[in-house]
Amino acid sequence: MSKVVLQAENLSKVYKSADKELVVLDHISFCVEQGQAISIIGPSGSGKTTLLGLCAGLDTASSGTISLMGFKLDAMGEDDRAYLRNQYVGFVFQNFQLLSTLTALENVMVPLELRGEKNVSRKAEELLARVGLADRIQHYPTQLSGGEQQRVAMARAFITDPRILFADEPTGNLDEENAEHVTELLFNLNKEQGTTLVLVTHNLELAQRTQRILKMRGGRLTDDSGQQLSVIRSNVTK
Amino acid sequence: MIDYIIKLRRKSRSIFTDRWVWRMAWRDARHNFSRLFLFVASLITGIAAVVALDSLNHSLQQDIDNQARELLGADLVVDGDYPYDAAQQKAFDTLDIEQASQVSAASMVLFLHNQQSRLIRMVAMEGEFPFYGKIETLPDDAYELMKQGGYAMLDETLASQYSVSSGDSLKLGEKVFKVAGVVTKIAGGGGLMSTFTPSVYISMQDLKATNLIQFGSRVDYRYFYKVGSETRVAEIVDALAADFRSEGYSFETVERRKEGLGRGFRSIYQFFSLLAFVALILGCIGVASSVHIYAREKRDEVAVLRCIGSSGWQAFNIYFIQIFVLGLIGSVVGAFVGLGIQQVIPLFIHNLIPFEMSFTVSWKSLLMGISVGSVVAILFSMLPLVSVRFVPPLSVLRSDYTAQRVFSKTRLLAIVLIAAFPIAFATWQTRSLVTGSIFFLGLVTALCILTLVAIILLWLVRRYFPHNAPFIWRHALASLFRPNNQTRALMVSIGLGAFVISTLTIVEKSMLSQVEFTGRENQSNTILFDIQPSQREGVIDLIKDHDLPVHQLVPIVTCRIAELNGRPSHELQQDTTDNVSNWAVRREYRVTYRDSLHHSEKLIEGDIHHTSDGRDSIWVTISEGMVDNLDVKIGDSIVFDVQGVLVKAFIGGIREVDWPKDPPNFIFVFPTGVLEYAPQIYVVSTRVDDQEAASRFQRALVMDFPNVSLLDLRLILTTVNDLFDKLGLIVRFLALFSIITGLIVLAGSVINSKFLRIKENILLRTIGARTSQITNITLIEYAWLGLFAAATGMVLSLGGGWLLMKFFFEITFAFDWVELLVITAGVVILTMIIGWWNSRDVISTPPLQILRKET
Repeated sequence: MSKVVLQAENLSKVYKSADKELVVLDHISFCVEQGQAISIIGPSGSGKTTLLGLCAGLDTASSGTISLMGFKLDAMGEDDRAYLRNQYVGFVFQNFQLLSTLTALENVMVPLELRGEKNVSRKAEELLARVGLADRIQHYPTQLSGGEQQRVAMARAFITDPRILFADEPTGNLDEENAEHVTELLFNLNKEQGTTLVLVTHNLELAQRTQRILKMRGGRLTDDSGQQLSVIRSNVTK
Repeated sequence: MIDYIIKLRRKSRSIFTDRWVWRMAWRDARHNFSRLFLFVASLITGIAAVVALDSLNHSLQQDIDNQARELLGADLVVDGDYPYDAAQQKAFDTLDIEQASQVSAASMVLFLHNQQSRLIRMVAMEGEFPFYGKIETLPDDAYELMKQGGYAMLDETLASQYSVSSGDSLKLGEKVFKVAGVVTKIAGGGGLMSTFTPSVYISMQDLKATNLIQFGSRVDYRYFYKVGSETRVAEIVDALAADFRSEGYSFETVERRKEGLGRGFRSIYQFFSLLAFVALILGCIGVASSVHIYAREKRDEVAVLRCIGSSGWQAFNIYFIQIFVLGLIGSVVGAFVGLGIQQVIPLFIHNLIPFEMSFTVSWKSLLMGISVGSVVAILFSMLPLVSVRFVPPLSVLRSDYTAQRVFSKTRLLAIVLIAAFPIAFATWQTRSLVTGSIFFLGLVTALCILTLVAIILLWLVRRYFPHNAPFIWRHALASLFRPNNQTRALMVSIGLGAFVISTLTIVEKSMLSQVEFTGRENQSNTILFDIQPSQREGVIDLIKDHDLPVHQLVPIVTCRIAELNGRPSHELQQDTTDNVSNWAVRREYRVTYRDSLHHSEKLIEGDIHHTSDGRDSIWVTISEGMVDNLDVKIGDSIVFDVQGVLVKAFIGGIREVDWPKDPPNFIFVFPTGVLEYAPQIYVVSTRVDDQEAASRFQRALVMDFPNVSLLDLRLILTTVNDLFDKLGLIVRFLALFSIITGLIVLAGSVINSKFLRIKENILLRTIGARTSQITNITLIEYAWLGLFAAATGMVLSLGGGWLLMKFFFEITFAFDWVELLVITAGVVILTMIIGWWNSRDVISTPPLQILRKET
């Protein structure tokens, strides 16, 4: 049986304001196996991004549990979760989220440097060449186009050979041509490195390229194209 | 099924061993130095003020220590109102030490070459004074010439004021002297003293010929001794001081002069320290404010770093390293700027102090400045930087996401240390925990009141909001209540600057108003004193001949206190447990007699008693201010020694006296029928409005009554004005630090609220607002802000100024609305300019460009 890298169980997220509660996620359960590519789709406000944030340990759930690489995230502190992300997780964001004061090369090197690894520039240069930016490594983000910035972000995401990659609308800010280029890169790298891919998108075309689609509405998981929810639950309780 | 069993082996690395944070700090800083300009500027101004004033203080202390002996001119000086009697002279003669003496008295001088005259201090000198240092004159031989007799020297200020040069003639009393030269430096002279009463020096052998020393004249006798060793000085003081002091003499030694000067300058230093303290605290606010902006700008980048695995401390350390290094650089620059400024300050105050100032560099102050700067940089950036640790990584996905506030021990520690820092710094600077705590409490009170006034003003605007005003005005006013706006913080910081400037103006105005009464109609502005009974009618005739009014003709009797409530004065002086001030018992009193109140007086307790015949008890009235010094109340008895005759009197009433109003005014007023036959002199007050008439009258007075002195209050007004011009310059120069730092804080706060303004302006421009409309909204908003802040500062300065006048300076509170309004207008304009300057890119950039930047 394949290894489960991500497992959500009865996951809820509630935001409390003065006198009312806003339920953003309502008892979500699912699991993702290693190497699988899944997409989460749904209308705005359905809870996709919140779910992604919780799965990646960027926030904690109001109730329920999430296990990432076997670690129960809700039992971990903020810094431990950050360390876990550095070891096993990669990110690609809609707004690229590059560090504006660092060059493309430095942006890519940062995750490995954080691990304390030395001589990481060669690997970063190789990855930048892989995404077609060999001649842009000393450029700052403001000197790069949107597509180029997203490719730097992908190089940064893949430099740690992550077990799982979370991507939030990776093509949302790109034109068609760049979007296509980035999508190709994303799936190729995913395939080459055996990385699990969790993708949040509005783009149905993009979603259909993944093996499994989770549909969300009003904070609930309404459809799972790849697996029956009941099966997942029974696996979890075993 | 969970297949991964992995242990997390996260290692925490300290700031010293984590190379990554140093590397990131450098990479990030390459592009951010300009963003930390406000931080460095705040630090530089704050530290420069502290170092300049601390270094100046060290320099002054050093100068006092080095020059105290030269300032005194002798090892021991004995000072009294009477010449020694035979026994007293013998007591010193037997000591076999070198002696010199001086006799000084107020007198009129008439310059014969231009027929001008004024009140001066006549100093008759005898012996080889000074024993230490030397009298510097122009020409060099002037002093030797004067000692020969027939020659006079005068202070440099007097000579230049009346265009007197060597060889001219002047008349002192009944004798004409040739001018030997001017005195540029003399022990015990110079400084403020010579500004108010310049001196004319003559030889003792010429004193008798002037005929200036007559009955009732206020004469000061000084005896100078060259002893040699400090031990012997102490022995002489131990042996003789008690007896001499009981006779009204005071002893001055080099050590006491050092202490006295030190005390005097400690007050000045404390005032300077207060300014430096305010500048530093504003600098601290500037540091905190600019780092707050910086940390806020870095929020998104921190979220990314947290996302890819940086710990909270690592993110914190990146920016902490930047702040620390820049803080150190800023402190070093600030400290050197401070040393530079210290070299400039003596140029402003060299006329106000009696000794020469050296241009020394205090390395101790320099080190102190660097240390304080580093501490300030770390401490005041800690609080905003701690927030970096808690930036939620989720904000990379949702930029408006705010995490719940987390309890942080570091934050708590920072708050405690920040609260302790001002007390510790003020205590260290003033060398006193009490003064330091008072500084701190004063600051906290000022900040609390400023905040309170700011809240009240904002509440009033909200309560009475002008709903019918034009759109631009309403929008600008409503901007003050924008969520997360810095209105209150801005009002407090700008208000503090306005408060300092307004308070200084009030102090200046109140002091000037003490002498400005001369401008009021029907008030005396010329006082004639030392008039002998035989000269009384002649002087009055002279006044009338010059068509001048006689406002007051007041008899004056000199006396001392022999007993107070049955206790002899010497016993009172020895008693250290009572509440009676020794100087109040020891001093000579000039009293008058009358049965009514003068219009400058108000009876606040008791009655005015009339003495009908010699058997009635004598009831005197006392001025309010002296009641505490003598610790007396209605009904208490005082025995006065009226030139050898003991007169027992009782306190019958207490008067409130408006001292500057129509002088002379008196501490004790006797009833009529008691002192009429006592030896007395007269004082006459009049009013002269015309300078030419004044000169004519003074000339005639000096010719006809050479011993009568004339005090021209208009001249004092001019002198005080001059003095304030000089003092005001240095005070404003130093207050400039506070203002500059305040403006930096303002710029920081404006930038801080810029993010919110950008969004609002984009919306306004998108829906059709013109650039001119947005500019007007911005200008009006900052005008309101400046107006409220300045008004807050002004209200506080009125309160603070009143307290200062009432309890510290003990003079009548006065202020000038026009000056305060000019300050308010200045603050408003500055706020508008800075606000507009910082917002101009937001105002003029097309909305799409900003929208792109925002996304």
